Amino acid sequence: MRGDGIGVNKVVVSKTSLLTRLSRKKKVNSYENNLAGYVFISPWLIGFLLLTVWPVTQSFYLSFTDYPLLADPVWVGVENYTKIFTKDPLFGKSLAVTFSFVLLSVPLKLFFSLMVAMLLNKSLKGMSLYRTAIYFPSLIGGSIAVSVLWRNMFDLNGYINQVLAWFGIQGVGWITNPSTALGTLVLLNAWQFGSTMVIFLAGLKQIPQELYESASVDGAGKFRKFLNITLPMLSPVVFFNLVLGVIGSFQTFTSAFIITKGGPIHSTYMYALFLYEKAFKHYQMGYASALAWILLAIVASLTAINFLVSRYWVFYETDGGKK
Amino acid sequence: MTKRQWLAKGLTLLMVAVLLLVTACSGGNQEAGTKAEGQNGEAGEKSGDSGSKAVKLSIMWWGPDARHEATMKVLDMYSKQHPGVTFTPEYLAWDGYWSKLPTLAASKSITDVLQMDAAYIKEYVGNGTLEDLSDIDLSGIVDPNVIENLKIDGKLYGIPLSQNAGGIAYNKEELEKHGIPLPHQNWTWDEYFDWAREARKKLPEGKYPIGDVTTWDGYQYYQAAYGKGDIMADGGKTFSLDKELFLKFFNTYAEFRKEKIVPPAEQAAAFQENDPQADPMASGVLMTTGKTTGSVSVMETLMPGKVDVVNSPTGPDGGGWAQSTIFLSVSSNSKHKQEAKDFVRWFITDKEAGQVLRLTRGIPINPDIYAELEASLEPKDKLGKKLYDVSVEKALPFFSSAAGYTEWVDAFEAEMENVVYGKQSVEQAYEKINQLGQDLAAKAASK
Repeated sequence: MRGDGIGVNKVVVSKTSLLTRLSRKKKVNSYENNLAGYVFISPWLIGFLLLTVWPVTQSFYLSFTDYPLLADPVWVGVENYTKIFTKDPLFGKSLAVTFSFVLLSVPLKLFFSLMVAMLLNKSLKGMSLYRTAIYFPSLIGGSIAVSVLWRNMFDLNGYINQVLAWFGIQGVGWITNPSTALGTLVLLNAWQFGSTMVIFLAGLKQIPQELYESASVDGAGKFRKFLNITLPMLSPVVFFNLVLGVIGSFQTFTSAFIITKGGPIHSTYMYALFLYEKAFKHYQMGYASALAWILLAIVASLTAINFLVSRYWVFYETDGGKK
Repeated sequence: MTKRQWLAKGLTLLMVAVLLLVTACSGGNQEAGTKAEGQNGEAGEKSGDSGSKAVKLSIMWWGPDARHEATMKVLDMYSKQHPGVTFTPEYLAWDGYWSKLPTLAASKSITDVLQMDAAYIKEYVGNGTLEDLSDIDLSGIVDPNVIENLKIDGKLYGIPLSQNAGGIAYNKEELEKHGIPLPHQNWTWDEYFDWAREARKKLPEGKYPIGDVTTWDGYQYYQAAYGKGDIMADGGKTFSLDKELFLKFFNTYAEFRKEKIVPPAEQAAAFQENDPQADPMASGVLMTTGKTTGSVSVMETLMPGKVDVVNSPTGPDGGGWAQSTIFLSVSSNSKHKQEAKDFVRWFITDKEAGQVLRLTRGIPINPDIYAELEASLEPKDKLGKKLYDVSVEKALPFFSSAAGYTEWVDAFEAEMENVVYGKQSVEQAYEKINQLGQDLAAKAASK
């Protein structure tokens, strides 16, 4: 036994020395590996530095200048920022529009896509066909074509009003009426639920069946199971979709630009549209850059808040059920 | 650290340094690139003396499909007539064009030849983007008076392509059907408003004699007709929005909204020009609509034989406008200025080209070319010519917004929309619009 013990020790010692040697060798290798890695990702790295980091830094500089595009930028300090916060009524207006859009469209989209995902999670014959059919419209997603379609549907003489007319209802001009215009854009956003739905579906597939089985044994009903099993188990996925949804809807541009042009009377004047018009219609690139940095700050702080709050409602199984 | 480690580390650092350099110098590299190109160009010109000249001119314009097709054909034609000269064309719609051009101007990469509009030319001249074209000999091609009128600070920056005019197209057939007298030439603003009131009484529900006005230029011609001139004068340094006329004009429209002489806001916002179903006039909703020589032909296509034209309402000083508004300009950064100048002159001189281009940019400025086309004009083309002919007698200058006023132009429309939707009074709108204008004028004057 004793001899064996020594033998084991010896083996252990020799193993450690081998390990240290290996790791030393590894250290040398790691630089080479890093270099090779950098070379391999250099197309993307260069792209990222040239096409993202550089313009972002430039826009930060430009946000402190008066830059009418046709002339050279002139340093004006924080003038753009003071004007935005104190003198520009459209800043407040567009922020209010964007916030109400986010508040309406994000929960609606989450709810809608979760419901569809639950339906598609059932085991039925030909389910993959249904899934494809329902996901398909999302492939043409937030494109110009869909926006044009939306305009034709909700116009004063659009399809919606034509259908309403069959029932003797005189519809309003959904996209030309200030009180309904934003609603049509929210609907469009909620309708583009495909990718959110797919993520939900993947999340639903991850929930172990045993949980439902044991809950059934305990006599839990469908709603109870949804509330106490599905939702908590799915909460990281909900969180993920929420964060992406908030960021995405803050940058909504195409629909507002194509369908309503921000009107009527600025009722759909999204922040991104405001920014675009300042830059490419009024040629105030410095001012627009400042607006872009304010948007970044807002979205970043909202995401941070989301992460902080997530501690209280997102449930990770790997943390042993701790919230 | 071992030598090898140092080497590895050094290489990584070098990589980063190279990346940073590439990033930081990207602007510089580009310049170097264009310089090299420039040298090539010069080399090309030099070798041109010995016979073979290879020049590639970039050219950009906006417009509808018919214009694109005709222009492409004409570019081919020029390349055949002038071996060695080829083109890199780029064509867009109006909105996209004016979004793209400022970014090109900002990066000093505007095309050699570009289409210009009277609404923007001052802004681009002011920033030195356009080449002085005064030395191009246009005698016998363009009326010297026309050229004199187009000069900015004594220099010509755009070769006029066509005669253009702004007036009113009306639905002749429908007006006659309802026993409404047709508008007559040189009608006054008062006659225009009274005509609308009378027409209302005879028109069925859902049809309206005239459209609403929310834009600055809709009002500008009213102010100018009554002798109060340009709202944005002296390149935007002087701003004068006449309060009395403004209130009178827009209060009249406020009355018209109540009397249903103009369509309700919700309906007006859904109009889409030139769309067979949603066009204000082609859809049968409006009896009259403002059109230009270039744009009225679409009406004839949409409602053949039903449309006629009259000039814009007039005041003591005149009404409407009639002049060239589309030009070809040459970039001041062009490496091939002479070739570009030769081309723009050819563009309005060559008869064969004129036969292909026809009226895609309005009535050709060159009377010889127009004379050849006249015999084969289609009704839609004749309508444009008529609009020009009826407008020219009383025409006011073409008003364009001054440099730096696009913000004000948008604000004008936004404030008037608020009036239309009943959110504020005409007087409140005036105060806000006037205040912003005064601020911009002060800013322009201080420069």
